[in-house]
Amino acid sequence: MSSRLVSPAGGSPGGPGRRRQRPLNPRTAFRIAVIGGITLAAVGILVVRLWFMQVVDAQSYALAAVSNSVRTVVVPAPRGLITDRSGKVVMANDLPSVNVVAFPLELTGAQRTSELQMLAPLLHTGVGHLQAALNTGQVASPYEPVVLAENISAYQRAVISERIRQFPGVALQNAYVRNYPLGYTGAHILGYTGLINKQEYKSYLAKGYVGNEEVGQAGLEYQYEQYLRGVPGQTNVEVDAMGNPVSSAPLSSTPPVQGDTLQLSIDMPTQLALENQLRQRVQSSGTATGAAGVAIDPNTGQIVAMASYPSYKPTAFVQPNPTNEKLITQYETGGGHVLLNRAISSYPPGSTFKAVTAISALQLGILSPTELIDGPPEITLFNTVFPNFQKENNGLITLPTAIEVSSDTYFYQVGDRFWHLHDNVASQGGNPNSGLQQQDWAQRFGFGATTGLDLPGEDPGRVPTPAWKSSWFGALGEPSMETWLPGDNINMAVGQGNLLVTPLQLAVAYAAIANGGSMVTPTLGKDVTNQSGQVVRQLSSVTPPRAMGLNPAILSVVRQGLKLVAQGGQGTASGVFSPVAASGGPVVAGKTGTAQSGQNGQADHSWFVGFAPFDNPQIVVAVIIEHGGVGATAAAPAVCGTIAAYGPTKFNPHLCGTPAKVKSN
Amino acid sequence: MRNPGEGEVELTTLTSMRVSRRGATTASLRTFLTGMDWILIVVAGMLLVLGVVMIKTSTSHAIAGNPGYFETRQIIFLLPALVACVGFAIFDVRRLQPYPRVLLGGLLGALLVVFAIGVTVRGANAWISVGPFQLQPSEFGKIALVVILASLAVERIEDIDRWRTTLMLTAVAAGPALLIFLEPDLGMALIYIAILGGVLFVAGTPWKHFAASGIVIATSVVMAFGVLPSAGIHVVKGYQLQRMTAFLNGGSGNTAGYQLAQSKTAIGSGGALGKGVGGATQTVYNFLPEDHTDFIFAVVGEVFGFVGAATVVVLFGILMWRALRITAQAATQFEQIVAAGICAMFGFEVVVNIGMNVGLMPITGIPLPFVSYGGSHIVADMAAVGVLLSIHRRRLAI
Repeated sequence: MSSRLVSPAGGSPGGPGRRRQRPLNPRTAFRIAVIGGITLAAVGILVVRLWFMQVVDAQSYALAAVSNSVRTVVVPAPRGLITDRSGKVVMANDLPSVNVVAFPLELTGAQRTSELQMLAPLLHTGVGHLQAALNTGQVASPYEPVVLAENISAYQRAVISERIRQFPGVALQNAYVRNYPLGYTGAHILGYTGLINKQEYKSYLAKGYVGNEEVGQAGLEYQYEQYLRGVPGQTNVEVDAMGNPVSSAPLSSTPPVQGDTLQLSIDMPTQLALENQLRQRVQSSGTATGAAGVAIDPNTGQIVAMASYPSYKPTAFVQPNPTNEKLITQYETGGGHVLLNRAISSYPPGSTFKAVTAISALQLGILSPTELIDGPPEITLFNTVFPNFQKENNGLITLPTAIEVSSDTYFYQVGDRFWHLHDNVASQGGNPNSGLQQQDWAQRFGFGATTGLDLPGEDPGRVPTPAWKSSWFGALGEPSMETWLPGDNINMAVGQGNLLVTPLQLAVAYAAIANGGSMVTPTLGKDVTNQSGQVVRQLSSVTPPRAMGLNPAILSVVRQGLKLVAQGGQGTASGVFSPVAASGGPVVAGKTGTAQSGQNGQADHSWFVGFAPFDNPQIVVAVIIEHGGVGATAAAPAVCGTIAAYGPTKFNPHLCGTPAKVKSN
Repeated sequence: MRNPGEGEVELTTLTSMRVSRRGATTASLRTFLTGMDWILIVVAGMLLVLGVVMIKTSTSHAIAGNPGYFETRQIIFLLPALVACVGFAIFDVRRLQPYPRVLLGGLLGALLVVFAIGVTVRGANAWISVGPFQLQPSEFGKIALVVILASLAVERIEDIDRWRTTLMLTAVAAGPALLIFLEPDLGMALIYIAILGGVLFVAGTPWKHFAASGIVIATSVVMAFGVLPSAGIHVVKGYQLQRMTAFLNGGSGNTAGYQLAQSKTAIGSGGALGKGVGGATQTVYNFLPEDHTDFIFAVVGEVFGFVGAATVVVLFGILMWRALRITAQAATQFEQIVAAGICAMFGFEVVVNIGMNVGLMPITGIPLPFVSYGGSHIVADMAAVGVLLSIHRRRLAI
């Protein structure tokens, strides 16, 4: 066989004694060379490619490898406490809880659907809801777990942990849940927390948040987020592709740190008394739809109590379960504006504004305290009849009496004098927006602007001006209403017309009257204290009171009038407060208000704002009972009951009398 | 100038080897050993050892409680691989030259047996169970195909310029390739086509036939991946299409994209000098799927860095140089074409596998010769090396 295969050995240059190779056909040689060239090119391309990957771009691939294999586990930190001024009554705290979380990357496709279908009934929710949570809850990296259910019950925990092997990609995570142990108390000031949502995520990320954290969503929880936030711990563990830790020792870890404690200036007995009063007054009224009250220390601006009725349970927002979800729906759609903080919402102030009118007129020199002015049952000004509240005749009276009996006809005439201040300038070719002393003084008392309270959502109220009137009614398409008229000054003098104030603004204005003429900045937060009890930040009295430069004699006359309201023989609220002073309790001064709500057929708003003790005021309380009727009957007793509960003015609340027959507002 | 005496001397030597087996064993062994291509042997050996080390690295966490499972099996596979290598180095491949039809029948039969009693591994029904191991007939079939095609080409070497020769040889390769494609093992089917190309190229098939084939192949690819699927006819499976196209979009979106991204991350993060066995997180923590089989090159890249990966590429370059040298020096045209088929096989496997690891080639499921885990393929690889050595040994034996 081999002989057949022998091919002629060519005359190649092999010397004698050397075996020769078969000569290579040039065509074949060329083709083998082509393969060799392709091989060389392939080796070159691959080496160059490796050079770019492993030398030029090595850094970015190395980062990708690290982010693959190092997983950061966030260890939740409890949020700070919120306490009353004593530091002893806890208004908000964190309870340990268990969350059900899912890892989106490990829970995919049909497996995701089938697991969620098993979980949904157990978690009392729908598959769609869980799917949505998985799809939208993915805020940080896809490696981070998404919270499917928060604060599950012990039963749910037991069922899931028993069958955790049936739920790959799902885990139970220790966490904290916010808790408001006092239920409805302080709801409108505390607010509530919630998970960071997708829209907010970027801004929180910039502040150093890590992912599924609870943040303040309303109230003080929102306002003081920076102090209350616990700083989550982080544990960096090396994991394999399935996400299982490859060793028990973490690469690095930082422990979680609880948030600081927020100590409020709220005095809990006073807060509870105010809330009780508001509830009782509304429930016994028959016409009232809500109520609000603010108690403030007139010397510091510290808020002693602030309440709005009807109230809600902030716990409903932080501990999701079917009952709480029903509650939230009811709060949001059930009417009654439960979530609205009425203490910082605006209403017409009615006669409570007369003290401001009086001081303004006296300061401007358009009224004298000894001047006798007639207070007839009704008075005609500019062809319009302005009646007294009950068409009662007050006779010739001076300012203190006019305040004591709350004479509308007296104050209409003071309003008329403000009109002339304006008209004198405007009618002589001056700026129609000048001569606005009435508005200017209202603004000096803080009306028409937010007070600077450390709580979101404050309504600035409204001090009407010619410019405002023109643009407001212009926008409404009512050109006949655009002009500023004498009636606007006259109505504003008695706290009606287009003037709107918040109970908080009224309390701050009366604080200035009580403290001798200084505007304070109201604050709810008192101090921030760390875990060892040291104050790390003072929150109250940061802005010093601003002296208004009032004439002390003028202030004294008006205060005299306010004292007569509560103590004098004809005082509109003396039936409520004089028994207290008579029994050795503090002397209360203040002003009633019965404000027309402007809503047809609805009862008037009932106001009272007062301070005590008269000689050395420690507390100012403003209360409005929405559609509660006459000031003396609903609001004044609520103020009395609140002052009774406050330490420096403490007395037996049963001393608060019943209002006399309604004859004035 | 021819010197007749020399040829006779050689024949005598050959005869004496055959005749005096008992008497001249030492001499013939010496002749056998000096006739070896030692560079080829050393390169193949280095790649085999590297493979075992890389398999050990990549699978130490693969099976809980049995870190040495894959490594041990690979070492066991080395034994038949070495036997195959030595066997084929001794064996004269020309003895198979007269029986291409028998061999083709055997190959097709073996592939049909797979359909009857095969077991499915990683989606392809390509294996036959033999005790604790699985045999993959298509791996051994590669060598058979090389011999079949070389033999048939030599039979028609006078007609090599004719279309009917090219078409006939193509049909011979297409039969087993189609069966393998149906297993489905697309990568292996492509290797068969590459072998056909290598055989035809060195046998002397005209350039215009290659050009025409190129057009036909390009058209078929467009039809298979583009036109027919949109008409509702799916020639390739969805995952195959994904794997084929993952490298085009840089590796994202699906499992194939994930494999590719992880492979590139492993290689790139290896850097210039590598992360060492302990620091190879991509591999050790199983981020890289199939890291002991199709993606073993990525393990080399992660553990030994650019230095290691480039060295492996260069080693394969040397292997190709030696294989092409043997092709050029082959004593007979049959052996030359056999060597060319083996060159095409190795070249195609290496370029496609490494190209896939670095994101330049589609993911086709072709193992890296000598290095990837797997019994059948390293036995077949070493058998091919044995055939090359045998051809090399007889390069002057005429």
